Amino acid sequence: MASIEISAVAKSFGPFAVLHGIDLDIADSEFIVLVGPSGCGKSTLLRMIAGLESVTAGEISIDGRRVNELAPKDRDIAMVFQSYALYPHMSVADNMSYSLRLRKTAKEKIAAMVSDAGAKLGLAPLMERRPKALSGGQRQRVAMGRAIVRQPKAFLFDEPLSNLDARLREQMRAEIKKLHADLGATSIYVTHDQIEAMTLADRIVAMHGGVVQQVGAPLDLYDRPANLFVAGFIGSPAMNFLDGRYAREGAVVLPDGTRIPVAPRENLAEGAQVTLGIRPEHVAIVPESPMEAAVELIEPTGFGIILHLSLHGLPFKVFTLDREALKAGPKVPVAFPSQHLHVFDAEGNRAD
Amino acid sequence: MPSPAPTDDRRPFLGRLADASQPYLYSAPSLVLIVAVMLVPLVLGLSYAFRDIQLLNPFSGGFVGLDHFRVLGRDQDFYRALKNTLWWTGASVFLQFFLGLILALLLNKPFAGRGLAQALVFLPWAVPSFLAGLNWAWLFNPVIGPLSHWLHALGILSEPLNILADPQLAMWGPIAANVWWGIPFFAITLLAALQAIPNDLYEAAAIDGAGPVQRFVSITLPFLAPTIAITVLLRTVWISNFADLIIVMTNGGPADRTQIVASYIFTQAFRRLDFGYASAIALVLLAALLAYSMLIVLLRQTLLNRN
Repeated sequence: MASIEISAVAKSFGPFAVLHGIDLDIADSEFIVLVGPSGCGKSTLLRMIAGLESVTAGEISIDGRRVNELAPKDRDIAMVFQSYALYPHMSVADNMSYSLRLRKTAKEKIAAMVSDAGAKLGLAPLMERRPKALSGGQRQRVAMGRAIVRQPKAFLFDEPLSNLDARLREQMRAEIKKLHADLGATSIYVTHDQIEAMTLADRIVAMHGGVVQQVGAPLDLYDRPANLFVAGFIGSPAMNFLDGRYAREGAVVLPDGTRIPVAPRENLAEGAQVTLGIRPEHVAIVPESPMEAAVELIEPTGFGIILHLSLHGLPFKVFTLDREALKAGPKVPVAFPSQHLHVFDAEGNRAD
Repeated sequence: MPSPAPTDDRRPFLGRLADASQPYLYSAPSLVLIVAVMLVPLVLGLSYAFRDIQLLNPFSGGFVGLDHFRVLGRDQDFYRALKNTLWWTGASVFLQFFLGLILALLLNKPFAGRGLAQALVFLPWAVPSFLAGLNWAWLFNPVIGPLSHWLHALGILSEPLNILADPQLAMWGPIAANVWWGIPFFAITLLAALQAIPNDLYEAAAIDGAGPVQRFVSITLPFLAPTIAITVLLRTVWISNFADLIIVMTNGGPADRTQIVASYIFTQAFRRLDFGYASAIALVLLAALLAYSMLIVLLRQTLLNRN
């Protein structure tokens, strides 16, 4: 197990800069999730840690040792690929033992380590099969088994669950979490799925446009997003945004003149352009509220109900567990409780 | 009228006949084509092997049974041609495959001007074999070609002689031309197979700790194996039947040193005009190649089944 330090790391492919000065310290046995939309550079960063991409600038060290120039095989890390990248002509057991055989580990030791890893992942009855005779979920397990079998310093996961169907994904997510609790291995996990990020991570690194937007515990990112990007990316259904102007006495005035009271923000000037954010589950439906929104669409999810509303033409969503909402309309009274309101300045940064 | 069918079929006989023959009628056009175009000439050619057919002898044409094969069994020229065929096919296929593989591996790496290089590499394939043979014959000719002088300068030849006229070396001439001409075939097919290997696998292997040689052995080779098996099989059959270059460059000489079975058939048929004997040799060659192909196919099946 190891710590990983990433300092001022940048990457460009020819004239295209993909990563701009990434700084990140990963503690021993921490589970870090890199999350962001496709093209944000999260996979590139992971591949640079693995040694599959060169480092344009900055430094990556594993356990205090600079690895920029080290070949992947000398970094003692294991990686699970999105495509699993199983060797098709080898059996499950051979796939898992390949790295050990390359290291000339003793035969008995290999057999013990492989059957141990196989047992952990429930692969014991499949050991002699070839990858093409396995289901997607089983292949995924073999890929994990291949990674854990040689007890590397760190695990790298490159969107390992994106090729699975929803139910299997949920199941494997839980297994990965259990496995991490078991092995306590330093893990870096890349995904575009914010639910995976929220459920797995000790700390989430939200990335966008090759820049780290926010680093923190999952609930920190959820409760106190540092900017509009993080606020909009984390959470489903996504946070509602309403543009308006800040009034110093503690309100945001929407274009239609509606005043929404907020706690005063110190570094905002009177009349400043701001964006108000509120999560759909935080919008309250209260009979006595003076604010009325038109119901555009009702989506029951089974678990709860998503109402698509419009406030003088401004669209926003409400998520509620109250089944009465199914009968809502054509107008519902809504309120924005000020303790749940996020205010972002004109640059999109959080204003407190 | 045949006795009525057990089922209660009251349709007229012709109607039932049309129904029964329907599948055969549908497939008849292609079957007739296959029989007329492939089987008839083959059977006709094979039948010559058992007949005395000499173009210059108007009384020939009779059935002679296995006489041709008895003569063939004592024909020293045939045995030499058989040995030469092994030598010619083995050396050509091995060198074509080996150099083609190296070329494919080089072309699989991205570099500036790769598109142009690929186009140039595949050029020999487009050259007609007779032109290639003439070209190489001239290259080996010390009066107009540079090759013997270069080989002499390198110390490989003691004098700048035409190797096509040297009984010990003559076979290398057509082999060199054949290798030059056939490399693109292996390069194209192997390059296509190489490009079908997912890059992930190489990355996974690199992380697992495999160096370049281990990656080649444990990923590239297993992926190429089916292509290698089928291309080597095809080329072996092809080259052992391929007499163009030898006819053009040496005509089997000097002293029959470059005579292979295919060129021996050509000589028997079109120089001595003994079609019967030539057909007998062709039949033996056909049997040998069929046996070889069956062997390779069996080998491939066992390998696939073992997997």
